[in-house]
Amino acid sequence: MLTISELNHHNRRPEPSGDESTTPRVLAILSHVLEKLVARNDQLVVGLTGHHPDGLSSGKAQLGKSLKAFHGVRAPSISIPKYLERIYKYTSCSPSCLVVGYVYIDRLVHRHPDSLVVSLNVHRLLVTSVMVACKMLDDVHYNNACYARVGGVTNAELNRLELELLFRLDFEVTVSSRVFETYCLLLEKEMTCNDADQKVERSILANSVDEVTEISVEDMQSSSPPQAMD
Amino acid sequence: MAIAAPGQLNITESPSWGSRSVDCFEKLEQIGEGTYGQVYMAREILTGEIVALKKIRMDNEREGFPITAIREIKILKKLHHENVIKLKEIVTSPGPEKDEQGKPDGNKYKGGIYMVFEYMDHDLTGLADRPGMRFSVSQIKCYMRQLLTGLHYCHVNQVLHRDIKGSNLLIDNEGNLKLADFGLARSFSNDHNGNLTNRVITLWYRPPELLLGTTRYGPAVDMWSVGCIFAELLHGKPIFPGKDEPEQLNKIFELCGAPDEVNWPGVSKIPWYNNFKPTRPMKRRLREVFRLFDRHALELLERMLTLDPSQRISAKDALDAEYFWTDPLPCDPKSLPKYESSHEFQTKKKRQQQRQHEETAKRQKLQHQQQHTRLPPIQQSGQGHAQMRPGPNPPMHGNPPQVVAGPSHHYGKPRGPSAGPSRYPQSGNPSGGYNHPNRGQGGGNYGSGPYPPQGRGPPYGSSGMPGAGPRGGGSGYGSGAPNYSQGGPYGGSGTGRGSNMMGGNRNQQYGWQQ
Repeated sequence: MLTISELNHHNRRPEPSGDESTTPRVLAILSHVLEKLVARNDQLVVGLTGHHPDGLSSGKAQLGKSLKAFHGVRAPSISIPKYLERIYKYTSCSPSCLVVGYVYIDRLVHRHPDSLVVSLNVHRLLVTSVMVACKMLDDVHYNNACYARVGGVTNAELNRLELELLFRLDFEVTVSSRVFETYCLLLEKEMTCNDADQKVERSILANSVDEVTEISVEDMQSSSPPQAMD
Repeated sequence: MAIAAPGQLNITESPSWGSRSVDCFEKLEQIGEGTYGQVYMAREILTGEIVALKKIRMDNEREGFPITAIREIKILKKLHHENVIKLKEIVTSPGPEKDEQGKPDGNKYKGGIYMVFEYMDHDLTGLADRPGMRFSVSQIKCYMRQLLTGLHYCHVNQVLHRDIKGSNLLIDNEGNLKLADFGLARSFSNDHNGNLTNRVITLWYRPPELLLGTTRYGPAVDMWSVGCIFAELLHGKPIFPGKDEPEQLNKIFELCGAPDEVNWPGVSKIPWYNNFKPTRPMKRRLREVFRLFDRHALELLERMLTLDPSQRISAKDALDAEYFWTDPLPCDPKSLPKYESSHEFQTKKKRQQQRQHEETAKRQKLQHQQQHTRLPPIQQSGQGHAQMRPGPNPPMHGNPPQVVAGPSHHYGKPRGPSAGPSRYPQSGNPSGGYNHPNRGQGGGNYGSGPYPPQGRGPPYGSSGMPGAGPRGGGSGYGSGAPNYSQGGPYGGSGTGRGSNMMGGNRNQQYGWQQ
C-alpha cells in the first residue's frame, strides 16, 4: 500500500546539488504521456460506469480486470511526475530503464485489451515495469526490496506484481534497439507536438539536458486509449 | 485458454505461458537436487510426453524473480534449434495460501514456478565420466559438430552463451547434443561496444581475455570454451584445471604461450594485463604437448585455443574445418550407442552411498585410478595416434563404447568430497544444464557466489557495494544494496555456480604439465 507519509519521509533525503539539472528529459516526457493517458482513461471509466475513478467502484475493477493485481484501493496522492522522479532518483536506474518500463506497460495494454492504465494502477505498473527493465538492462541494479521501499509497496507485493507483469508479458521483455529507437522518436515527437502545452518548466528541463537522444520514447499511437473495453 | 489436442499443430497461438498448472504433469521421479531446488522427470498427462521439470527457486524475497531465470526464459523463447534445449513452457502451481476470508489469495504463483524442458538423458560430463566410457573419434566429431552447430545458431542470433562446459551440454539417447543453461547468456547486439561483465564462464573454460579483465567481447569467448571441451574430449581430462584466476591464466600461458603485442595486438591495453603478465618468457607448447592428436584435430584446436579473440576461429569456420570432413567422419547421432539412463533418484542415492562406503575403505588405493577415469577416445585403426597417457584401461581398439549402467547426469553426481571421481569441484552447484535459473543464489544472496548472476560486477578485488548511486542514495535507501558481489568476487564459497573452489584432492594438478 502506498502511504504518503512514507513517501514524504523519503523525500526529505538531501540531494546532491545540481541534481535538478541532470534530471533527464525522459522523465518529463513520460510523465506527460502517462498523465494524459491516465486522465483520458479515468474519464472513460467515469463515462462508462458513472463511477468516479477515484472511488471504490466495483464497475471499474472490471474494466481493467487483467491489471487487477496492480489496482490499489485508492489512487496514491503522489503525482506521476513526482513518483517517476522518485524512482529515478532513489534507484539510480538509467534513463533507458524508464523508456523500457514504458514499453512494457504499452505491451501489456496491447496484449490485454481489457486492461486500462488508470490512476488506480499506474503507480504500481510503473514501479514494477521500471524495476524489471533495470533488471534486464542495468549493470548494477537495486533489488526488489529497495524498489519496494522507493515505490511504497511491500516487498511481497512487489514480487507478486513482478511475476504478474512477467507472465502477462509472456516474458517478452526484450526490447530491441530498433524498437527502443522507435519509442524514443515517437516520444520526442509527442513533446514537439506539445510545445504549446503549459508545461513550461518541463520544456526548460528538457532543453537543459543533453542526454536527450539516448532517452527514450514513446509510442503515441499506442498510448492512445487502449482499445477500450468490451 | 484452449489447449491443443495431442498432435494438433498450434503454431500461431500457443497458450500463454504460466497459464497451465504443474498438475498437467505427473512427476515421475526426482532426477536432480541442489541448492537450486529440484529437477523432476515428469510425464505430461495429456500427451504422455516425458519432460524435465525444473522448479525455479523463489525464496529470496529481496531479489524477487531470479534474473537468471528471466534472462534464460526470454532467450530460450527466441531460440529454436535442434541443438539448443527447448523450453516448452512455464507452468505454475497454485499455493495453498488463502487470504483472510479463506479464499485463495489470487497469487497463483505462490506454490512455485516450473520451467518445462524437453527431457534429455545425459550431459556430456556425466556421460564421459562413466566408468570405462570411451568415446570413439567419430563420436567426438559428432558431438563437436552438434555443439558448434548449436553455438553457431546462437551466435547468428546474437546470443552469447557464456557458460559452455560439459555439464551444460545435454545428450539424449538418440545421440543428439543440445546446449542448455542459458542463465548467463545474453544478447550482444546492443552491447557490442562493451561493458559486459568479465566474470562469466566457469573458470576452467574461461578465455584469457576475460581473465585479463576485458569488458568488450563477443562470440569468441564461447569458442575458447569449445576448444577446452574439445581438448578435454581428446585428452581425457580437463586441460586447464586452475583453482583461481591467476593460476588459470598461468595454465593457459604455459600451454598457449604468453600474450604480447605480437601475437595479440592490443593485449597490453586490457585492464589487468600488467597485473598478470608473466615474468618469464613462455612459449606456445600446444602442438608439442598434444603432438599425438591427429593432425586435423590439432589444427582445429590450435585455432580454437588462440589467445587473441579476434584471431580465434568462429563456430562457422570451425564447422568447415578439415577435421569434420576427413575420415573417420562424424557419425550419425542415431548410430551412437544408447546408454542406460537411470534417474531413480532414491536408488541412485542408495547406490552412491554404498559406493561411497566402499570407496572410503579403498580410497587410498583407488585414488590414482580415479583421477584418470576420463579416457582418451578410442583410437580408430589406422589413425595411429597413440595414447597420451596409458590409463588404467588400455584403448579398446575396435570395440564399441562400453555400455555401463548408471546415471550420467552430472547433477546426479554424489556431492561429498569423497564421493568418487567427480571431475568438478563440488562447492558450486553440481548440477547439469537443467539447473540454471537459480544457481548462485543458494545462499540467499546473489552476491555471495563468485559470479553475480546478473552477470555484472566490479572487477577483481573490488568488494562491497558502492556507497551510493550516481545520484545519491547513501541514506535511507540503503536497504537494497545493488547486486554487487559482496565478498571478494572470486572468494565466494559454496553458493556460487562457479566451480573454482578446490575440494579434496580431486583437482590436484596432473596432466600434461607433468
